Amino acid sequence: MLLERLGKELLFLDGGMGTLLQEKGLQPGELPESWNLKRPEEVIAIHQNYFEAGSDIVLTNTFGANALKFHSEDCPLQEVVARAVENVREAARRGVKDGREIYVGLDIGPTGKLLKPMGDLAFEDAYEAFAEVMEYGEKAGADLIHIETMSDTYEVKAAVLAAKERTSLPVFATMIFDERGKLLTGGDVPSVVAMLEGLRVDALGINCGMGPEQMLSILEELLTYTSLPVIVKPNAGLPKQRDGQTYYDVMPEEFASTMKRIVEKGACIIGGCCGTTPAHIRQMTTLCQGMKAVPPVKKHHTLVSSYGTCISFGRKPVIIGERINPTGKKKLKQALKDGDFDYILKEGIMQQEKGAHILDVNVGLPDIDEVAVMEKVVTELQSVTSLPLQIDTVLPEAMERAMRIYNGKPMLNSVNGKQESMDQVFPLVQKYGGVVVALTIDEDGIPDTAEGRLAIAEKIICEAEKYGIDRKDIVVDVLAMTISSEPEGALVTLKALKLVREVCKVNTVLGVSNISFGLPKRPVINAHFYTMAMQQGLTSAILNPFSEEMMNSYYAFCALMNYDENCASYIERYSKTVEEEQQSIAGSPTQAGQEMSRAGEMSLQTAIERGLKEEAGHLTRELVREKEPLAIIQEQLIPALDVVGKGFEKGTVFLPQLLMSAEAAKEAFAVLKEVLERSGQKEQKKGKVILATVKGDIHDIGKNIVKVLLENYSFDVIDLGKDVDPEVIVHTAKQEGIRLVGLSALMTTTVVSMEETIRLLREHCPDCKVMVGGAVLNPEYAEMIGADFYGKDAMQSVYYAQRVFA
Amino acid sequence: MEMRIKEAIRYLGYGRHAVDDGTFALITEVFRELDQIKCAKSVYRIFDLQVKGADQIEIGGWTVTSKNLSKNLTGCDQIVLFGATLGTEVDRWIRRYSLTDMAKAVVGQACAAAELEEYCDDCQKKIAEEYQRQGRYLRPRFSPGYGDFSISCQETLMRMLDCAKTIGLTLTGGGMMTPTKSVTAVIGASTEQQPCHIKGCEACEKKDCLYRRSS
Repeated sequence: MLLERLGKELLFLDGGMGTLLQEKGLQPGELPESWNLKRPEEVIAIHQNYFEAGSDIVLTNTFGANALKFHSEDCPLQEVVARAVENVREAARRGVKDGREIYVGLDIGPTGKLLKPMGDLAFEDAYEAFAEVMEYGEKAGADLIHIETMSDTYEVKAAVLAAKERTSLPVFATMIFDERGKLLTGGDVPSVVAMLEGLRVDALGINCGMGPEQMLSILEELLTYTSLPVIVKPNAGLPKQRDGQTYYDVMPEEFASTMKRIVEKGACIIGGCCGTTPAHIRQMTTLCQGMKAVPPVKKHHTLVSSYGTCISFGRKPVIIGERINPTGKKKLKQALKDGDFDYILKEGIMQQEKGAHILDVNVGLPDIDEVAVMEKVVTELQSVTSLPLQIDTVLPEAMERAMRIYNGKPMLNSVNGKQESMDQVFPLVQKYGGVVVALTIDEDGIPDTAEGRLAIAEKIICEAEKYGIDRKDIVVDVLAMTISSEPEGALVTLKALKLVREVCKVNTVLGVSNISFGLPKRPVINAHFYTMAMQQGLTSAILNPFSEEMMNSYYAFCALMNYDENCASYIERYSKTVEEEQQSIAGSPTQAGQEMSRAGEMSLQTAIERGLKEEAGHLTRELVREKEPLAIIQEQLIPALDVVGKGFEKGTVFLPQLLMSAEAAKEAFAVLKEVLERSGQKEQKKGKVILATVKGDIHDIGKNIVKVLLENYSFDVIDLGKDVDPEVIVHTAKQEGIRLVGLSALMTTTVVSMEETIRLLREHCPDCKVMVGGAVLNPEYAEMIGADFYGKDAMQSVYYAQRVFA
Repeated sequence: MEMRIKEAIRYLGYGRHAVDDGTFALITEVFRELDQIKCAKSVYRIFDLQVKGADQIEIGGWTVTSKNLSKNLTGCDQIVLFGATLGTEVDRWIRRYSLTDMAKAVVGQACAAAELEEYCDDCQKKIAEEYQRQGRYLRPRFSPGYGDFSISCQETLMRMLDCAKTIGLTLTGGGMMTPTKSVTAVIGASTEQQPCHIKGCEACEKKDCLYRRSS
C-alpha cells in the first residue's frame, strides 16, 4: 500500500514527458495528451523506459487534460484520461520485471487561468474542472493523484479539495518556487505548507522551475515547516535556449549525485521534471538504491496564512485587528445593510496600515444573508490585502463557506467547550484546515478559577485530537472578565494564561478590551493589562490597532523582549515623534505645526483646490463650529470643485491634481456628513447613477475616477464593479429606477458587451440615459453603439450627469 | 530626471506642461512603494521567421496576417516572442488605492506602466547584447494590438511562451491579460542593422493623442 510506505522508504517518481514527446514528433501547438489515443505506443514506450529505469510511481500523460485547457473534437476528455491510466498500466506490464509494487499517478497540472478575484476563473469552476478529470482517473484505476507545477495557492486548493471530496485516492501536491522560495503569486514556503497540511494532502513538495542544486535551499525550508513526506522533482537544470529550442544541461550523473544529497537532507519521494530523461532517473535510482528515507519529523508551528503571507504564533505577539465587526459600530452596520463593501475593505486596509497582522471578519447582523456577505467580504478583502483573515461567525454555514473559498489557511473564531460547538466546528477544521480560537467556556458557563478554564482547554484539545487536529492548531482564549464587576477577573485570566501555556503548550489569544468595561479612561487599563497578559504568555490579541495605547504596549513589549531586532520597529515608529516634540520644546514650529499654522491662514476652498486632504479635514472641523454644513458646501466646497474642474478642462490642472482635490473634498464632505447626521439632517443627493465596467473588461481605474468625482458632486453612485453582466446592470437599473448609467470599456474586444448592455437597457429601461467612456471609444464609436453621451474625461461625465438631473 | 518618472508624467497627461510639486512628490513616493511590491518576470523564445509577403508572416509554423507587423519585420529571419509582467501584487496595490486614495491609484497606474516599459527595455537590451555577438540586430518591440496586428494573436503568443507557467501571465475569457501590468510582444532579429528605429509614439499614426511623446 502506497500510504503505508510514505515517509518510511524512498520512492522513485518518473522524469520528463513533454520534451520526449517532442523528440518523437509532437508538433508545437499539438495537445500532448491527444497522443494517449492517437499514438499510444509512443507514450507507453516512454512510461516503460521509466519503469525500467526504476520508477515506483509513473505519472499519466494528463498534465494539461482538463476541460479548461484541453479542447479537442476527436479526443473526448474521458477517453484521454482513461487511456492515459491504461497506458501506464500497460507500460508496467511490459517494463516491471522484478515484481515490485508500482503506482499509477494521475498527473494534474494547472488550468493556465488565474482565479478570481485577480483573474476571471471562479474557484468552483476550477474545482469542477479538476474534479472531472480526477473522477475519470479514479474510475480508470489510478492509484494516486499527483497535483504539480502549481504556482497559485488558490488553484492548488481547488485541486486538492476536488481530489479529497470526489475521490478516495491519496493526494500529492507540488508547487513551483523560484530561487527566493516564492511562488509566482507571492506565496512562500510556510504559507504553502500551512495550507496544504491543513487540507491534509498525503505528501507535498516542489517541482519544476529549477534544477536540483537550486532546490536544496527550498527543501531545507520545507523540512523546517512540514511534518509530511516531502517530494522533490527538479528540472535538469535551469532552462537555456539554443536555436529556438529550450534545453537543459544538467547531465544524468550530476543530476543523480545532487538527488542523493536531496535524499540525505530528507526528501523521500524523488523524481525529475522538465528535461529529465529515463537516463537521469536510471542514474538516480542506481545511486540512491538502498538508501533509507529520513523519517518525517513532526513540527509544532502554529501557522495562519493567506495567499502571500504566513503568520507564525509563539514568539512575537500577533495582533488581530477587531474592527470588521458590526457590534457597537453604527457605520459598519449600515455599510453591511447597504452592501457598501468599499467601507468594509477600507476598514481592513487601514488596520493593515496601523500594524495588524491578521484581520478578524465578523459580518453577523440579524437581517442580512450572512453566508453570502461573509463570502463576498472574504473574497474582496483578499483582493486588496495579503493579511490572513480570522473568520468570525457563530453560523456554521457561513464558517464553512468562508473556509472553502478562503485562499490560505484561515484562523477561526471560534469553538468552545460545549459538545455542540465542537461537533460543528472540528469537522470543518478537519476538512479545510485552520487555526481555531478555543474559548474556555462550556455547558456550565465560564469557570471562576484558572484551573477550571485550564480543564476546559484540555477537554477541547482532547476532543480535537479525535479529528486529527493537532494542538498547534488550537489557540486558547481564557477569556478576560470585566474587573469592575469581577474584582478577581484580571488575576484569574492572567493565572489561566500562564497555566494553559505551561500545561497545554498551546498558543493563546484574548479579546483584551473586555477587561475595562464600565471604567473611565479604558485605554489605560486595557494597555496595561495587555502588557501583563503578554508577560504571562499571551501570544496573540484581538484588539483595535487604531488604539495608540495598545500599540504603544505592543511596540514597547517587543523592544523589551528582544522580539524587535535592534529596536528597529520601535525606533521607526517613535523617532519622528521625538523630533517633533523636541522641536516644539525648542520653540521652532514642527512640520505638522507649520502646516497647521499655514492652514490657519488658508481657506477651506484653497485647501481643496491644492488637494491638501488633512488640512481640508482639519479646516472643516474648525468651520462647522461657526457655520452650517450646507453653507460650507455652498460657499467653499462647490466653488473649489468648480475652479479645479474648469482648470482641468482648460488644461491647467491635471488628473492627479484633480483627484487630490477630489480626495480633499471627500474628506471635508465626510466631516460635514457626520455633523448633518447628528442633527438629524440629510445631505441632499442629486440623483442615483449606476457605474460599471462592462462584461469581459477588468480594467476599472477610469470608472473609479468617475465615481470619485460624481460622489463629490453629490450624486449617489451604485458601483457595480468590473466585468459586469449586462443582465445585472439592467436588473439594478430597473430595481432602483435609475435614470443614468455610466459604462466603461478599455478595449475593442469589450465594446461588444457595451453595445449589448445598451441594447438591453433600451429594451427594459427606455427612460434611462447611457454615458460611455474608456480608452477605445470616441464620439462616433459611442454613437454607433447607441450611447447617449461620450465622456472624453471624468469631468465631462459630471457635467452630463448634471444636465440629466437638472 | 529618471526616465521612468518622465514617462509616468507623460502617461498622466501632462504633455509639455511642467509637473507641479505635489504631483512630483506623489510620483516619487509611489515609485518607492512600487519598487517594494513589484515582482517583475519575463520570458522569451526565439523562432525562425519567414516574411511571406506584404501582410503575412510565419513564426515557427504559426501564420500571422498583419501589414504593419510585416513591415516592421522586413529583412528579419528570426523572431523573439516576449512576455513580461510586474505580477499580481501590483494589481492589488492599485486596487487598494482605488479605495483609499484615487489620486495615488491613478499615479500608481501610470508609474506601473512606466516601470513595465522600462523593464521591457532592459530585457530587450540584454537579448540584443546576446544577439549582437552573433552579428544580429533587434527591431523595436511590436505588440498584438498595435496597428493591424490583431490583439487576438496574444493567445497563441502566450501559449508558445507557456506564459502561465513561466511568468504567471494568463488571459481572461475576454482576452485581457492578468496580471494587468503585463506585456506581450514580438521582436524581429536581422543580420542588417537599421540605423534609426522609429518606434512607440513616433511610429504611431494618431498624431493628436494627449499622451504623445513630444519631440
